[in-house]
Amino acid sequence: MVFPHSPGELGAEPTPDEQVREFADRVARPTTADRDRARRWDPALFAELAGARTGPGLAGPLVPRHLGGGGLSAVRTCALLQGLGEGARDPGLALATAVHAVLATVPLRVFGTARQQQRYLPRMASGQWRGALSLHQTQGAALAPAVTVRSAADGRVLNGELELVAGAPEAHHFLIVADELGGGGRTAFVVDRATAGVRVTQTRPEAMRTCSWGRLTLDDCHVPDDAVLGTPRGAATEVEPLLAALNWVFCSAPWLGVMRALTRDAVDHAREHRLFGRPLSHAQSARLTLADMATRCELAAVLLHRAAEQFDSGGRPSQRDAASARLFTARAARTVIEGAAGLAPAGVLTGGDGLIERAHRDALFLATAGGGDEVLRPVIAASELELG
Amino acid sequence: MNVQRHGTDAAPSFPGIAGRAADTDAAARIPAQNWKEITDSGYLRLFHPRKIGGTGADGPAQVAAMEALARACPSTYWSATVSALLCANLISTYGDHDTHARLLDGLLSGRLLAAFAVVETSAGSDAGTYRTTVRRAGPSGGGGFVVNGEKSRITNAPDADLAVTLARREKGPGDDGPDWCLAFVDLRQPGVHRYEIPRMGLRGMPWGGLVLTDVQVAETDVVPVPLDELSEGMTWGWLLVSVAAVAIAESALAASVRHARDRVSFGRPLAHMEGVQAQIAESRAQIDAARLLARRAAVERAAGRSARTLIAMLKIYATEMAVEVTARAVQIHGAGGVTEGHEVARLYRDAQMNVIGAFASNRLREQVAEAMGLGPAVYRAFDWLRPSGLGQDPVGLGGLSQQAEAA
Repeated sequence: MVFPHSPGELGAEPTPDEQVREFADRVARPTTADRDRARRWDPALFAELAGARTGPGLAGPLVPRHLGGGGLSAVRTCALLQGLGEGARDPGLALATAVHAVLATVPLRVFGTARQQQRYLPRMASGQWRGALSLHQTQGAALAPAVTVRSAADGRVLNGELELVAGAPEAHHFLIVADELGGGGRTAFVVDRATAGVRVTQTRPEAMRTCSWGRLTLDDCHVPDDAVLGTPRGAATEVEPLLAALNWVFCSAPWLGVMRALTRDAVDHAREHRLFGRPLSHAQSARLTLADMATRCELAAVLLHRAAEQFDSGGRPSQRDAASARLFTARAARTVIEGAAGLAPAGVLTGGDGLIERAHRDALFLATAGGGDEVLRPVIAASELELG
Repeated sequence: MNVQRHGTDAAPSFPGIAGRAADTDAAARIPAQNWKEITDSGYLRLFHPRKIGGTGADGPAQVAAMEALARACPSTYWSATVSALLCANLISTYGDHDTHARLLDGLLSGRLLAAFAVVETSAGSDAGTYRTTVRRAGPSGGGGFVVNGEKSRITNAPDADLAVTLARREKGPGDDGPDWCLAFVDLRQPGVHRYEIPRMGLRGMPWGGLVLTDVQVAETDVVPVPLDELSEGMTWGWLLVSVAAVAIAESALAASVRHARDRVSFGRPLAHMEGVQAQIAESRAQIDAARLLARRAAVERAAGRSARTLIAMLKIYATEMAVEVTARAVQIHGAGGVTEGHEVARLYRDAQMNVIGAFASNRLREQVAEAMGLGPAVYRAFDWLRPSGLGQDPVGLGGLSQQAEAA
């Protein structure tokens, strides 16, 4: 495809997303379809992507350099995830990476005590320790509380069950928001897997199959007071809004890459696929569809870029802009996938590397997990209407 | 809710023009006071370097100013920006800064108003069908040229002092220059007949036709231009229209938000209804996407890069988006939104004009497709369906015999 990712940048040095795209294309893409069919999480592959020396360092781009991370900006991290999505063509792997490298990491960077940061972040950045959390807890308290916490003589006691915990089977620790019994409010915790009362059950959702998933059960789980992340009872103004914005921006970023891959494939398919005795690329309606697919990519890119940039600006990132980025990207992904499916020869839909089928299935997950339309739209509207 | 705004809702900085927008639309005429305020604001000089009398605003500043004026009054914005941005850029790019300083000075000071005369009565975006010609005048013509033809559906045509006119060159023997030219035609002379054309939206904007009959133009004001290169200059027009669309959508959203907060229905303000919230949220995300793409395009453009395909994408999306957003605004406003004279009704009408003006969406989609490596459009007569077996109705369950009986 002649059309450059960023018009005007042709001939420039490879950008971070291009470097990651090439790496992921080489190390991940060859096994993506098989891993997806087998619902297999590949720890060795994650280790390769995590490696800062030999690979792109995807485990800790946002961890400061003095703690062993990449010390990259949010914008650049977004670009890396976009490249991962495009190169690996694997939404599940990209989600697993974003959850560990961003959602589980950034709250520790932002709200963690010095001890917490020194204990967790270097090992997370190297990929030695995986952090995990439930995507249900990335939409504030929109859902009914699934975990409660009460005080005890030796600290705090957690009880409850969380579904949709990305990375749970391999996780070293979990980021958990719990509802305070008596007195109200919610508190965030970092809970090590080795803690007594923590139980992980592997689950197998239908979508995002190349990510590893689990159910986290907390049964009278005693944690010390220093497991609290941020201000006690302060999750509603600290960890919860941060997790939502991180999810909406950084878990959307790989989809920009997936959309670009689908669009590029669709151009090839339209050239090769013959219908009524001529290449489909000669049909005006097909050409119009391809133009719309490429346009959706550029529009999603600018919204994601703005939302990511706000994390770097020093001010508070806008929840509205993060929600807009997710709302638009999820819509755009479905538009691009439908366009790609409509232009693909039958063999591509039933065989090949299965990107269209995978993306079609996983895009529904994107559009719902961590806040679907019914969460995103009120967030955006509240800002406009100065209500909520 | 603790919300920080990030500057997407730029307040209009042309309050006087905004206050007259409804009257401008109703009277189908831009008030003289609008021109005074635009000129005084320095708007007309923003788009140009200092060496030709501009103030050299950067890309984002240009887009912000354009949006502010378009928020105030889309008709006034179109008229002023076609003249000061599009036409002045074409003269600056393809003309000579010394020879044409009188034209550029006039446009940037607001003393002159220009039209970009491209479209003809039977020709739109297909340049092959244009008929307007420029030819050398006879011996009595003083060494100049004459223009003949009719240009139609042209912004500013009824009022303009000057037309940047696309025309075919009648070439003499040995002339191997381009087949096309831009002629900077003085419209204040005999042989120029103008007419207005009623239209759906942008009713305040002067819009109509120019009939040019042996209209004289100096040799220095006829600039041969390859058509491919000219289309690069026309990209400014796409950007201009895109910003108009973003502004119209933003105005429609702002009106919707005001109405949703004020209007009580079924015991609660509309703003508390989730369906209304959903419409407002969708509009916000869509407008922001278009605006951010416009800013990116303006930065690329101001840096001297073409960004042509990006701006084509922008024009497609922004203009169709504005139609969608204004339709939502009409729905949120209910009967008020379809009442003549209501702001939202005007915006709804105006939004449609942008989809068509300066290349309609599907023509631009074709150009984007070509830039994606699909090659030029390939047209084929529509006679291939019947041979494929899909061009006729099937036989029913009764078989051919029943068909014969029915016949």
